Amino acid sequence: MKKMLSLALVCALLLALLVSVASAEVPALKGPGNVTLKRLGGNVGFDVNANYMVDIIKQATGYDVEYFSLPAQNADEKLLMDVAGGADYDVINVNVNQWRTLMAQGALMPLNDLLDAYGQDILAGNSADAWKALSDKDGNIYGVPYMYPHSQEIASFMACRWDLMQAAGIESIPTTIDEFYSCLVALKDYYGDEYIIFSGPYKPASEGNENWVIPKTIACAFGIYSDWMVADDGSVYYMTEAPGFAPMIEFLTKLNNEGLLDPDWAVNTDSTVNEKFSSGRAIIACSNRAGVQVTTPAQMENLNLTYDDIGYIGALKGTDGTCTYMRTEAFNQISCILRSSKNAADAINWMNLKVQNQLFICIGVEGVHFNYDDKGMIQPINPIFANERGDSYWYIDATNQPAYEVQWPSRIRKSDAQWAAFNAITIKATAETPEIFVPNRFTFMPASEAFTKYNTSLFKSLQDFILQVLSGTRTIDDLATFQSDWANNGGEEVRAELEAYIVSQAE
Amino acid sequence: MTGSKKTITNKIPLGKSERITVVIANIVLTIFGLIAIFPCLHVVSKAFSLGTRVTAGQVLFWPNGFQLETVNYILTKTSFFTALKNSLIVFALGTFISMITTITTAYPLSKPAFKGRKVISLLYVISMVFFGGIIPAYMVIRTIGIYNTYWACIMPFAIVQFNMFIVKNYFEGLPESIEESAKIDGAGDIRTLVSIVCPMSKPVLATISLLYAITYWNNYFHVMMYTNSTEMRTVQLYLYDIINNGQSFAENLYSGMYSGGVSISPNVTTDGMVAAAVTMSLIPIIALYPFVQRFMIQGITIGSVKG
Repeated sequence: MKKMLSLALVCALLLALLVSVASAEVPALKGPGNVTLKRLGGNVGFDVNANYMVDIIKQATGYDVEYFSLPAQNADEKLLMDVAGGADYDVINVNVNQWRTLMAQGALMPLNDLLDAYGQDILAGNSADAWKALSDKDGNIYGVPYMYPHSQEIASFMACRWDLMQAAGIESIPTTIDEFYSCLVALKDYYGDEYIIFSGPYKPASEGNENWVIPKTIACAFGIYSDWMVADDGSVYYMTEAPGFAPMIEFLTKLNNEGLLDPDWAVNTDSTVNEKFSSGRAIIACSNRAGVQVTTPAQMENLNLTYDDIGYIGALKGTDGTCTYMRTEAFNQISCILRSSKNAADAINWMNLKVQNQLFICIGVEGVHFNYDDKGMIQPINPIFANERGDSYWYIDATNQPAYEVQWPSRIRKSDAQWAAFNAITIKATAETPEIFVPNRFTFMPASEAFTKYNTSLFKSLQDFILQVLSGTRTIDDLATFQSDWANNGGEEVRAELEAYIVSQAE
Repeated sequence: MTGSKKTITNKIPLGKSERITVVIANIVLTIFGLIAIFPCLHVVSKAFSLGTRVTAGQVLFWPNGFQLETVNYILTKTSFFTALKNSLIVFALGTFISMITTITTAYPLSKPAFKGRKVISLLYVISMVFFGGIIPAYMVIRTIGIYNTYWACIMPFAIVQFNMFIVKNYFEGLPESIEESAKIDGAGDIRTLVSIVCPMSKPVLATISLLYAITYWNNYFHVMMYTNSTEMRTVQLYLYDIINNGQSFAENLYSGMYSGGVSISPNVTTDGMVAAAVTMSLIPIIALYPFVQRFMIQGITIGSVKG
């Protein structure tokens, strides 16, 4: 009897082992037509299941897909509740912070085997660094990268009234910080208080290459390109420790004291700056692609301007002729698969098919939606491009990054105003001054404890300090006090983590 | 003599100081009314103004360069009608269900003969004071399988305890003898409720149904938490999404307004689109308001009288 029992136990163990071995194998594809995938994405204004892109993707991949979107408000909480509540999504397209949260919860499925079996195009289309950043210490991949489509864009720049500048005797668009200052002074001397000389919005600051209190095109002239920067010797330093920080603040204070800045800067929004610039009240305004898209047509109609009357000021060089502007290489979105997904193989296969058909899905068909120009760049055909591919951005889960970097500018080109600025700033800088672009050494850094805990509050205190100096309630002489407070509030701990990461990368 | 007819009126003539008070009150209220209506006019004006004028801040309280493209875009290219349909379904079905549950709960609880009514009433009071929390509520919605359905938008308000107590109190104030007469004539409980009690309670039922209707129409949070598809969005969620995504909408339309590579003035901008969405969403409420205004005033006062 005992022998029989032992035999039964051994059989049961063997069976369990066989089952576990079998389950460790890569799941088989069910294939298009046999499964309806469920894909969750970020908040969007249109009906994602009634959009023309649904049929286009079905045509390219054969898969039926049901799409869902997160709300605009409380998206993180909603996502967590959905996942904890047993949501049966097959693909979840999230931002970096949401991905980190899901990782910390242990909710994601390792994708190595699935990618090897069904996602070769996705694997080949992204850098080893990107894959490493989405992996754990054991090399298990937990996300599919969708990188920011243009790794070297001067996204924040200044738009200006070139007609008014010429009338004031300015002969060329400023390219250095000294020329920029002289330009502002000349405009003030010529126009007095008739115009706001230089306007910009106050934006709640955020770390890295996001919103700053200081215009980035000015900061780059002082050697500042991010909140955390890396010296040649690998040491990590904060923006306030940069040699150019105090001169930069003094420069901005000088502009403010001399009446060259918009007195409403601290309360301006993007909308009010656009309003001042497009109604002819401001001569120079901090802007971006979205900004010029609305201000340019308004200036043309309300002020009878042409493209020749509008100029763009890019990354300014410092007095020593140097300029440092951070590359925009970053995760745009990350696609991941929940442990509970029953269609993981098909989800990866579907994403891979989308990458294979990237040009068709994101840009369209040559001769119908676009043509190639003399330089080999994609020229969209409007309005069909906008009407049939305008919303494709929401449906992207993964890209062949090098290919998409070439394809993506066509999406800007569908707007003349955006393209004019992109051409004058980013394309020109890439062609003529590529040395100004500095890599973001922390793009692929995994989440770390002190950074997550302290960095946002450190940056908030930096923002407050800059505003206090600009408004005159503090002076730049208080920088040492600020630095001391900063160190006591987690600054040194974050630095230690970042330096450890830089060392680990060098190994 | 003709033209010297004296009309007899019951009005007591106002004294001089009272007339001054009335005049001042009218002036002050007119100012407040204008203060309230100017922002609305501003939004409506932006919805119908040229996009370039909206961007340049040249629109105040009247459309500057009238155009209908923005409104047309909102109506035809976004899911406005889907959202409106969803809102109307939730609003109508929800109000109906809530009234059924409220009346059928309030009626037995209003009867002293109903055993255990104090305990049951106490349970309602407890659930009114202490909310279980959003996560348990979310789990209940998922577990019973109504997530991402109309029921998920309706069930959280199927019965609002406060409304139920108002109705219960009203029922308690009705003369018992009328119900006894009905029973003598052979009416059962349901017949008595439907044919006798409800018709006698029209004022309170009209007011409570209005309160429910407003709750369903304005509900944002529960629809956000308990649905995950754009097809299930109600008007409130739709509006938030349009505001959040106005830029990407305007981008696509903007490029569509190019002709031969030369930009022509685009009429639709982010601000204009948001204004148009808000304007369109207001129309159903503005259309309904004159008919329900009377009940709204009752609704404000009924709690203080009966509650």
